[in-house]
Amino acid sequence: MNRALYAAATGMAAQQQTLDVIADNLANADVPGFKRAAATFGAIGDNLGTLALGVRRSFEQGKLEKSGGPFDVAIDGAGFFALERDGRRAYTRSGSFARSADGSLRCADGWRLRGVRIPADATAVDVAPDGRVFVDVTGGRRLEVARIRLALFAAPERLQPIGSALFAATRESGVAESIVAGGARAPKLAFGMLERSNVSIIEAMMAILTAQRAYEANAKGVQAADEMQRIANAMQIIANDLHGHPLSSTAELVHGFWPNRGHCGR
Amino acid sequence: MDSIDLMAAAMHAARTRLDVSAANLSNASSAGFRRRIVRAIVSERGIALLTAIDRKQGPLERTGRLFDLAAVGGSFFVRDAHGATVAERSASFSLDATGRLVDERGRTLLGERGALKVKQGATIDARGVVRDDGNALDEIHRTPGASVESGFLERSNVDSIGEMVDVLAAQRAFETAEKALSAIDQTRDKDVNDVARVKA
Repeated sequence: MNRALYAAATGMAAQQQTLDVIADNLANADVPGFKRAAATFGAIGDNLGTLALGVRRSFEQGKLEKSGGPFDVAIDGAGFFALERDGRRAYTRSGSFARSADGSLRCADGWRLRGVRIPADATAVDVAPDGRVFVDVTGGRRLEVARIRLALFAAPERLQPIGSALFAATRESGVAESIVAGGARAPKLAFGMLERSNVSIIEAMMAILTAQRAYEANAKGVQAADEMQRIANAMQIIANDLHGHPLSSTAELVHGFWPNRGHCGR
Repeated sequence: MDSIDLMAAAMHAARTRLDVSAANLSNASSAGFRRRIVRAIVSERGIALLTAIDRKQGPLERTGRLFDLAAVGGSFFVRDAHGATVAERSASFSLDATGRLVDERGRTLLGERGALKVKQGATIDARGVVRDDGNALDEIHRTPGASVESGFLERSNVDSIGEMVDVLAAQRAFETAEKALSAIDQTRDKDVNDVARVKA
């Protein structure tokens, strides 16, 4: 068995996967609420190469940025907005909502923010840091119409991504705990702001360069292992010539196994 | 030792060097990986190969995930799926639904009082003290004198360029040994079939 060949090949596959993950991060760098991912690897066996252990998402807070959208809300702290569509639930940190005809606040792909309905006669909307939603109605009156609740998970990293910035609960993530924003240690809501993705373009570019170099180095490893095998195969012809019987495999030859001693004659 | 045996052993040694370098290269992105080194020792009895681990600390890389841990000057302990306690230098942990910190291989992070149970937002300081809402819960079980960096992973200490040079060197060494072996074989061919020929 050509161990180096397969070890180097696992290395190439690993760097390929790293590049895929970075490409996905870069593609979503401008998506509000997107969380960057990283592929992780570990060594296997005795010089057998590397193994992909999984993809980890970093829920590090993204920068809050003034967006000016009339219904934009960002979460400063932990937690997710709870969304609903066709009876299914999903969670996001992207608070880029638009008001739809039925008065609900929806994401671009139709997911509805749970528990909030804006009256038809509202002229302006405001969200307080504790999640209470106020509207100005005709006649200059200000009404509290809803309170945005956030979903907390015991293990947010085990949520399943179902879109760029959209997640579904899994058994491993635990069930969503519904909390109100604004307490002493609780997250706060920032109205008129959006949370940028936590992807750093410069770091991603550097990671691409590193992965490319490592990929090339592993490709050299594959080439070298292949070349050695070729030389060993060419030798078998000499060996046949020498002993008049073929060695059972080149591997035996390469591992220093030499059938007869004093083998110089024909 | 017969010179042909010696050359075959040299080819074997080059092959082992390649195996080790290729495995090192493939682990250029494995957190906490430490590269293997092969040394060849030549004596009358042949070539002995010694494999060792390069214990140089790899560079720490900031990841921004609080439960990515890297030990400096020692290691911390995890419990694997079979219940054994294993020393580890760097691993990426995440909370499971029961509040334990589990790495990608399914191993649980240990405190001084058994498996750690924390909530989201818990912090870990350099002395390994785990705090939840400001209250010290436990301390990470670690070797004496080791400190723990939270938010960092120790990168592999493999230098891709250096390792690639080793791959090429091993390949050339293999070729050289093969050439020498062929030359010895040809010489003996002459000895036996030409020089020693008895003219009829």
